[in-house]
Amino acid sequence: MHKYLALIRANWQRALTYRSTILGYRVGEIAEMLFILVLWTSVYSASGENVLRGFTLREMITYFLIGNLFNMVVRSFASERIANDIKHGRLSTYLVRPISYLAANFMRQFASLATLISVITQLILITLFFLPVIIFNTDALYLGIIALMAIFAFVIEFMISYLVGLIAFWTDETDGISSSIDRIKRIFSGGLFPISFLPEVFAQISFLLPFGYSLFVPAQLYLKKMDISTGLYGIFVQAVWIVILYGIIAFVWKRGLKRYESVGI
Amino acid sequence: MSIIEVHNLSRTYKFYRKEPGFVGSMKSFFARNIEHARAVDGISFSMEEGELVGFLGPNGAGKTTTLKMLTGLIEPTSGTASVLGHIPHRREKQYQKQFSLVMGQKNQLWEDLPAYDAFLLNKAIYELPDKEFKDQFEELVEVLDVGKILNVQTRKLSLGQRLKCELIAALLHNPKVLFLDEPTIGLDVVAQKNIREFIKKYNRERNTTVLLTSHYMEDIKELCERIIIINKGKIIYDGSLDKLVKKYAPHKRLTVTFNKEGVGREILSRFGKLKYLGPHRSIISVLRKDAPSVAASLLSAGLPVDDILIDEPDVNEVIRHIFEKAS
Repeated sequence: MHKYLALIRANWQRALTYRSTILGYRVGEIAEMLFILVLWTSVYSASGENVLRGFTLREMITYFLIGNLFNMVVRSFASERIANDIKHGRLSTYLVRPISYLAANFMRQFASLATLISVITQLILITLFFLPVIIFNTDALYLGIIALMAIFAFVIEFMISYLVGLIAFWTDETDGISSSIDRIKRIFSGGLFPISFLPEVFAQISFLLPFGYSLFVPAQLYLKKMDISTGLYGIFVQAVWIVILYGIIAFVWKRGLKRYESVGI
Repeated sequence: MSIIEVHNLSRTYKFYRKEPGFVGSMKSFFARNIEHARAVDGISFSMEEGELVGFLGPNGAGKTTTLKMLTGLIEPTSGTASVLGHIPHRREKQYQKQFSLVMGQKNQLWEDLPAYDAFLLNKAIYELPDKEFKDQFEELVEVLDVGKILNVQTRKLSLGQRLKCELIAALLHNPKVLFLDEPTIGLDVVAQKNIREFIKKYNRERNTTVLLTSHYMEDIKELCERIIIINKGKIIYDGSLDKLVKKYAPHKRLTVTFNKEGVGREILSRFGKLKYLGPHRSIISVLRKDAPSVAASLLSAGLPVDDILIDEPDVNEVIRHIFEKAS
């Protein structure tokens, strides 16, 4: 078996080892999701409007369900793991073997998709609950672009998380930075509310940042509030980000290794 | 040609010294005092195929830094190292497939997975053919007697069991060179002995070149015919353990047992340096060449001597003596 396939396989097993952890996450996520949906329902009823910033309540509920599904597929938790590897010197065990640390971690990220079974079950449960109000989009062209965007977003989320982890070469701990980035990401990805609720300039900034493509843009595409050409443009922006992030990672990795070398002897 | 060749190898670490307190922090923010620490300072040695060499030194002597340079984890500041004809810090795959590094203090196996899965992973990483993997795996599992624990998560294993699995993982690709950094640390006496015996046997049977660091003199005594002692980054001894004792311990020990009540300090001190005074048994340290004559005069002095044992001083003591002298 090829070495990276073997890595996926081993990580797949590891990801499924801790059933209680996986289920534990789901409990909080389901509660949060329901809370957001209840919150928006009451916002609409309190405002007395049918349409808020171009969103009907049905669209808003669909926005959060689809956006979160997308986000759960692409999100990455690599940074903490990488920071720990660096801090505790486990990185050395990769460096002395014929294997790339970046690739090994990407495979691990990829393998964590194994836990998606539970995520999807979770979403089906919630979806069933909201079935009458959800908007369905079966347009293959839109779904195709969303799928492509998901692949790119998966790579980008991993790269950002990996990069944050590499900061541990200098600081040992990355919890603070990691938490700040998560918050910024949440705002600019439209995870708290659609970015279109903010002044126009935010939406424009968000288009150039990689974060929006992890939730807001695909959800908007799904709702057909964005056209195909905007979607394609988004994929182009994502591709540029992948190149930029790869460059930064290569640079930081090289500098970081120099630094790593002098630690803990 | 030698398997490992190290020539004038040095490694300097750069670090910043900060004055204490807030003012010191502000000062160092604008102008830092860069200082250099020489962890390894111009060492040279070579190892032939199949040699098992013990690398000895107090904490911070430069043992681990040297191992890190030889495994390619860090780059030398100056000098050259070559292992199996490769320059380690280039981290060439061809080189990485031919050596292994086992660190007694660090897990290489994923703790969430059973050892067997980790072995399969290593099989893929080192691109081992099925047959080669199977043969090597079966032999190692049998010799180390770990057949029953292969399906248990490695974090649930005892330290000794885990280390055995670490060794198997490190040896699956049949490395030509094995670097062992404190392989028996933390193990109980029986487990230490098992691991030692395994390493010894493996080295003999496979002719694997082994460089080992350890704090346990037992490891070194049992395993290594040749030792290299390093202190403050410099090699202060390279040779056999026997010669080390002769060179650095000009004294021998005379253990004298008396059959009635013991003999007092005053009398015994006339024969040599009194190391230990007991009610029935005392130890006197005398110059190597004087040992036979002192023993003879002890017997003829009319003392109630029951037995005299002449032996070499304890290796631990010799080494401690060397370290103390060097520092």
